[in-house]
Amino acid sequence: MKNQFSIILLLLFATSLNAQGVSQDFLRSTGKIYSVIAVLVLIIIGLAWYLIRLDSRIQKLEKTHKNG
Amino acid sequence: MNFIKTYWWKLLGILLLIYAVIFGLGVPLKHGIMEVSPLNAKAGEQFTLSIQGYNSHYSDLPSYAYLKLDSVHYLKSAFCSPTHQNIMRASFLIPTYLPSADSVVDATLIVDNRKDGYAILPRAISISQDSFQVERGQELWSSSNGLEDVTIDQSFKFPFRNILHETVRNTFYHVSLWFAMFILLIVSLYYAVGYLRKPSAELDRKAYAYTAVAIFYGILGLISGSIWAKYTWGTFWTADVKLNMTAVAMLIYFAYLVLRSSIPDMDRRAKLSSVYSIFAFFALIALVFVIPRLTDSLHPGNGGNPALGGEDLDNTLRLVFYPAIIGFTLLGAWIAQLKFRVSRIEENDAFNER
Repeated sequence: MKNQFSIILLLLFATSLNAQGVSQDFLRSTGKIYSVIAVLVLIIIGLAWYLIRLDSRIQKLEKTHKNG
Repeated sequence: MNFIKTYWWKLLGILLLIYAVIFGLGVPLKHGIMEVSPLNAKAGEQFTLSIQGYNSHYSDLPSYAYLKLDSVHYLKSAFCSPTHQNIMRASFLIPTYLPSADSVVDATLIVDNRKDGYAILPRAISISQDSFQVERGQELWSSSNGLEDVTIDQSFKFPFRNILHETVRNTFYHVSLWFAMFILLIVSLYYAVGYLRKPSAELDRKAYAYTAVAIFYGILGLISGSIWAKYTWGTFWTADVKLNMTAVAMLIYFAYLVLRSSIPDMDRRAKLSSVYSIFAFFALIALVFVIPRLTDSLHPGNGGNPALGGEDLDNTLRLVFYPAIIGFTLLGAWIAQLKFRVSRIEENDAFNER
């Protein structure tokens, strides 16, 4: 689980690192609206990661309750 | 009936977040000035300024440009010729003398038309002069009229802020996350104090769940703020007092997680972490709300008077900002509730096994 998250994070930072040094890049186009989208995507991915972790805890509980 | 009783606030949170995304992204920005060139003018010469506007309609109707030195000294453009809806050239006949004894004076640019309303670019260009005649300059610059009746765009649009541009919308997603974090921490504080007054495993579980979700919101807040900073301040992280103090406050809360996981005995863990979380909360208040006010910060509302007044947050932004805070708070409370319900079952199972 942790690996998946770090890959997503890496990808996110890779795109933004790539954007450095250029004055008119994608995230800065049309009034920098895409940096707002990047923030929204980050929040949604973060929430999904948090819920997946919670989900796996519940799965563990389900298994023990099935056996018991 | 039971469904509504269980889920009404959870669904309300989701609806408010959907509202915040749709309106937060959908409402257009007001007319603004992106950039101008050239940046330097000379007194006594004809000066043609190329203006790049944003959300403007320069080709549709006549626009007027003004160079403003202070509240009484300004100059109206001789003529404006649009080449595109967002691009126009404004020509100024700059008088020989400036109403100032300085050799270089900064001028604010104002562009106005009946459809888009006015837009301001502070310190747009600097005007230089070789010889000084202050009184003559004052006469020359106050003669032009018309600045009093600029058009104000009354339609429902978000304000155009220089440098921020469209990222002003991050107010709804980055700033509201921090506000939601504070509300969740206050709820957690309530349970921690409740535990110290009358210890029970349930209160400790609730206090922990709310703090954990708040810390998660804090991490999201830091990363999203970092992205925002990159495209407005030009760097992911800077030695800004608010950034560093928030990072310290987050470390104090990480220590809370470490503290909890290092104590195996449930009662001791609950007691210690309740006391620690009260300490951490007040440290957070001091670090994030008090210290940044004492110095200067890139964040609005620091280094002097409080934030969220006047220019920083106007009423159109508030209409999306406040619902977003409530939405994120309710979503966080929902996640926290799931967390402590799961740990309640886990702990009961562990108890039964013994």
